[in-house]
Amino acid sequence: MATMQFEQIAVDRVSHRWLSKTRKPTTALAQTTCDFAAGKITALVGPSGCGKSTLLLILRGLLQPSSGEVRFMYGDGSGRLQPGPKPGMATVWQSFNLLPWRTVLDNVAFGLELAGVAKDERYARAEEAIRSVELGGFERHFPAQLSGGMRQRVGLARGLVMMPDILFLDEPFGALDAQTRLYLQEQLAAVVERSGKTVILVTHSIEEAIFLSDTVLVMTARPGRVAARLDIDLPRPRGFDMQNDPRFGELFNEIYGLLRDEVRKSMLSA
Amino acid sequence: MSEHSITAAEAAKTDDAHDDERLRDDTWWYGPVAMVAFLLFWEAAVYFADIPELYLPRPSVIAITLYDLFVHKNLAYDLMLTLYRIFGGFFLAALVGIALGIAMGTSKRIHAICDIFVAAIYPVPKISLVPLLVIWLGSGNIFQIVLSALGCVFPILVNTIIGVRQCDEGLILAARDLGATRSQIQRKVVLPAAVPAIFGGLRLALGISIILIVAAEMQTAKYGLGARLQLAGQILETGQVFAILLLLAILGILLTKGQNQLDRLVSRWRTT
Ligand SMILES: Nc1ncnc2c1ncn2[C@@H]1O[C@H](COP(=O)(O)OP(=O)(O)O)[C@@H](O)[C@H]1O
Ligand SMILES: [Mg+2]
Repeated sequence: MATMQFEQIAVDRVSHRWLSKTRKPTTALAQTTCDFAAGKITALVGPSGCGKSTLLLILRGLLQPSSGEVRFMYGDGSGRLQPGPKPGMATVWQSFNLLPWRTVLDNVAFGLELAGVAKDERYARAEEAIRSVELGGFERHFPAQLSGGMRQRVGLARGLVMMPDILFLDEPFGALDAQTRLYLQEQLAAVVERSGKTVILVTHSIEEAIFLSDTVLVMTARPGRVAARLDIDLPRPRGFDMQNDPRFGELFNEIYGLLRDEVRKSMLSA
Repeated sequence: MSEHSITAAEAAKTDDAHDDERLRDDTWWYGPVAMVAFLLFWEAAVYFADIPELYLPRPSVIAITLYDLFVHKNLAYDLMLTLYRIFGGFFLAALVGIALGIAMGTSKRIHAICDIFVAAIYPVPKISLVPLLVIWLGSGNIFQIVLSALGCVFPILVNTIIGVRQCDEGLILAARDLGATRSQIQRKVVLPAAVPAIFGGLRLALGISIILIVAAEMQTAKYGLGARLQLAGQILETGQVFAILLLLAILGILLTKGQNQLDRLVSRWRTT
C-alpha cells in the first residue's frame, strides 16, 4: 500500500448557530461547502461578521458545528481521497492572546510545556523560533513591553514552534498599523512559502489576500457561505512591486466586485 | 566647534539622566514628615495645656511605656500570640477560599450548590458568632483562628470567583489551540489570570483578621494584644492603652507595606 498523504480539508455542509442568553441566536454559517488544498495558502475574505472566525474555529476543532462535518482527506496519488487523522494545527489570533504574565520565551514555549517537553529542549526550540521571527534579544520581555507588531511575531513564533502542518491565521495583522503590516506580510510570506505548510488566512484586506495566497475564497454576508473561488496565478516569490502588475489589478477588481454586494447586504441587515 | 556638535551618545546620556529625574518619586518623605510634625504638635500641646496623663499621655511617654511593656511585662509573648492567631485564620481562609473559589468559578454545578450557603453566611456579622463558637470550641487558639477564618474566607472567595470568571476567553482558546487539557487550562491560564483579583481579596481579608482577632481577644482571651488592651483600660493605665494601640498601628503599616511589596513582585509583568 502506498503511503497516504494529507491532501485537503473538506468542509461538508457546515452550519453554525451561536446561542446566547442575552441575544437572539445568530446563524453564522449556513450549509457551507468548500475545501482547502494541502501545502497551499488559502485566503478567506468576506464582510465583517459573516462567520470567517467561526469557520476557522470549526476547522481547527475548537468549536463543534451545529451541523455538517469537517474531514481531513488523505490520498495515495491515485486521485482517490479518504478521511484520516487530524494533522498538527496551530492558530495565530487577531488579538494575539499572549499570556501577559509570561515572558516572550515562556509564551513561545507554552505549547511544548503543555505537551510535556523537557525544559532544555523546549527552551532551545522556543529560542530558535523567536530568532526566526527576528525577535532575538527579547526573550525576557513581557508582552506589555512590546509593540503590536512584535507581539504578533511572538504569536507567530508560538504557533510555528509546534511545527504544525496547518497554520490558521485569523486577521493576524488586523490590529496593526499599515507599515508594520506590510513588513509582517513580507516576513510571513518568507516563512511559509518555503515551509510547504497549509495556511488558511482570514483577512479583510483584498491586497493582503492576493499578495499572500494561492487561492482566495469569497464568503457571502451572514449567514456566511463560500460563494466564489479564485486562483491567484501570480508568480512567486512576490515582491511589493507586484501591485503594479496588471494581473494584480484584474484580480483585485474581480474580488472587490464580488465583495461589494455582500458588504452592502451585511450593512443593510445590521 | 559649535555647541551643537554633541554626539548622539552624549545626547542619549543626558536624556537618560532627565528620565531618571522625572521618574523618581520625590513625594515619599511627605507622609513621614507629616507624621513627625503631628507627633511634635501632640507632645507640645499636651505639655503646655497640662492635660493629665490619665486622659492623654504624651507621645514620648507612650513610646517609653511600650518599651517598658516589652522589657518588663513580656508583651512580646502577647504580640506573637496575636500574630499567630491573625495569620492562622488568614491562611486557613486563603486555602479554603481560593480552592473553593476556583471550583465555584469554573463549575456551574458547584456554584449552584454553594452559592446559597455563601449568600446566607456572608452578611452575618462574624463577631455575633462568638458565643456559639465559644460553646463549641472553648476560648482558646482554635476558637480565635476559626473566627478569623470565617471572617476572612468570604472576601477571598468572592474575589477568586470574580477573578476566575473574568478570565479572557481568548487566552483559553489559545491554550486549547496549543493542546491544553482542562486541568492545564485551570492551572496555567485561569488561576494566574485571577491572581490580581485574589490578591485584592487577601488584602481585605488580612485587615478583617486583625479586627476580629483583637476584638475577640478583648472579649474572651487572657493573653494577646486585645486582652492586654482590655486589661489596661480596666485599670485606667492610659499610657499602656496608647502603647498597645501604637503597636497595632505599627503592625498595620508593616503589613500593608509588606503586601504592597508582594503585589509588586507578583505583578511584575504589568509594569513596563
Ligand atoms: N462567541 C460568540 N457568541 C455569540 N455569537 C457569536 C460569537 N462569536 C461570533 N458570534 C456571532 O457570529 C457571527 C459571525 O462572527 P465571526 O465568525 O466572528 O465573523 P467574522 O470573523 O467574519 O467577522 C457574528 O454575528 C457574531 O456576532
Ligand atoms: Mg473575525
